[in-house]
Amino acid sequence: MPDISILIQVIVSGILMGAIYSLVSIGLTIIFGVVRIVNFAHGEFLMIGMYATYFLWGTLGIDPLISILITTPLLFIIGAGIYKSLFKRVVVASDFSKIFLTVGISLVLQNIALLLFTANYWSVKTSYERMVLSLWGISISYPRLIGFLGAVILSFLISLFFLKTDLGKAMRAVAQNREVAMLMGINPDRIYLIAVGLGSAVAGATGTIIMPYFYVFPLVGFAFVVMCFAVVITGGLGNIKGALLCGPIFGIAESLGIFFVGADSGLIVAFLILILVLILRPSGLLEAGRL
Amino acid sequence: MKILVKTLVTSRGYVPLATLIIFLILPLFLPTYFLHIMITIFFFAFVSQAWNIIGGYAGQLSLGNAAFLGLGAYGSVLLTYYYNIPPWIGGILIGGAVAIVLSLITGLACFRLRGPYFAISTLAIGEVMRLLFLNQRKITFGAEGVTVPYKGNSLLYFQFLSKVPYYYIALALMILSMYITWRIEKSKLGHYLVAINQNQDAAEAIGVNSIRAKQIALSTSAFLTAIGGTFYAQYIYFIDPDFVFGLGLSIEFAMIAIVGGVGTVMGPIIGSFLLRPAMEITNAFLGATYMGVHLIVYGCLLIAVVMLKPEGLIGWVGGLYQRLLKLLSKKDD
Repeated sequence: MPDISILIQVIVSGILMGAIYSLVSIGLTIIFGVVRIVNFAHGEFLMIGMYATYFLWGTLGIDPLISILITTPLLFIIGAGIYKSLFKRVVVASDFSKIFLTVGISLVLQNIALLLFTANYWSVKTSYERMVLSLWGISISYPRLIGFLGAVILSFLISLFFLKTDLGKAMRAVAQNREVAMLMGINPDRIYLIAVGLGSAVAGATGTIIMPYFYVFPLVGFAFVVMCFAVVITGGLGNIKGALLCGPIFGIAESLGIFFVGADSGLIVAFLILILVLILRPSGLLEAGRL
Repeated sequence: MKILVKTLVTSRGYVPLATLIIFLILPLFLPTYFLHIMITIFFFAFVSQAWNIIGGYAGQLSLGNAAFLGLGAYGSVLLTYYYNIPPWIGGILIGGAVAIVLSLITGLACFRLRGPYFAISTLAIGEVMRLLFLNQRKITFGAEGVTVPYKGNSLLYFQFLSKVPYYYIALALMILSMYITWRIEKSKLGHYLVAINQNQDAAEAIGVNSIRAKQIALSTSAFLTAIGGTFYAQYIYFIDPDFVFGLGLSIEFAMIAIVGGVGTVMGPIIGSFLLRPAMEITNAFLGATYMGVHLIVYGCLLIAVVMLKPEGLIGWVGGLYQRLLKLLSKKDD
């Protein structure tokens, strides 16, 4: 039996990572909840956010904590542009078109990144990268702590947006019943545009806040998005609360998997949980599609 | 017999027959490189047809079919490596059986899910398999991959020094998959699958056992794909988890069927004959200098087909074919 403090350390790092999974999953779930499209290219939005952060740091020397103010609107614009040019035309199409459209977008974005930036791993340096917070025998590196806090703050703001603002309420209305929302004078097309933009912006912001402690490479989005798929399926696609709850669950599962089974077994343990959940409760742990 | 002779003298009969004969004598003339391209065309038409059974006819958009291919490939290579078991048994029978077991687990976990949930779950299952084979280094050699143990020219061990036997095996596999798909299409099961694809609730309401029908389709697909895996391993002589279990491969199976036309016998064949040469050409000319450029082309093509012609290019190619037949039958008169 390992030392209890090591176990706590493992669980804490799982929670830190889990908050990031939650945030990426929220973006995924906003797009699905409102527009009914599972964005298989979501990881690539995260990747673009990471590359943008890297270049802002590399060319202008901007710290990731500040460049979030640039990457978030940038990804909003990219997401909105992709909605206008592509998503818009498949909103009423079959699952088949929706899935393979976003798979195609993912393939294109990944390989453009490969073409432009090569397969090398890049990272940024920050003044706080070596600082560590030690509390009751548990140590947390500053970048991870900042990433965690950023994820918590952003998740909180997004939840607030959906609960308190008119626009957020309008988006929830469209998510729940498009026709009735239209009768209430809501323009669904505009709401869809904002939803895809917002979902992408969240992915971009996540890319920025994890940049101080992650490498960026063309396939980085895939590693994240696969885990986030597990999170949203378990938590219910389109359910923000589910994403918030299940992110840390999968973060901890991954962390324990790495600790007890082996270095790259984290995802396996997480997926085995997912498959088990699917067999026992095919609709996921929480209700789907309510935002 | 009379009907057979009658159809063979019309263009509808002799054009396919002539095509088959051309394919059969082609290796006598083709240089090795083009032979290789033909083999990859047949191979991808075969595995894509296997995807088409579950993804096209049943409309269950699997993004994890590479898992079945990987099992066939690793079954073939590892069982020869450790126990000297020929690939026909190790890859096709044992690997295929394991693939069917995986398809049963997949069915148990995923068949109650609809649309995107099913796609995501199969993607996750494919990833689990890739990671498992990466992790079990002591058995699978992990990311390094495994080379097929060399046995010389041996039919028993599915190894040939010339590409010609591979050509005929790949051609036979493609035709086999077309035959199986055609038989399914004509059978009750085929109608069940199409009904489930169009409206699962309605299909269940009139008494279709949707889970059973989908399971038969997925297991058939899994077994055929595992055979494809064995063929791939024995032809390329080297396998690694990132490729044979990779999502890229799963997407490619689907993409070829989609570009050709899903839910049709000829769709994957047309898709493979259009896409594989295009891929080989972009790869040969641009691949070395511009990494990933062929996948950008692939991705754009997938987007274009899904948005503009979701039924695939089969209508267009079919139209050309009909015109050819008409042209030829006019000459007959």
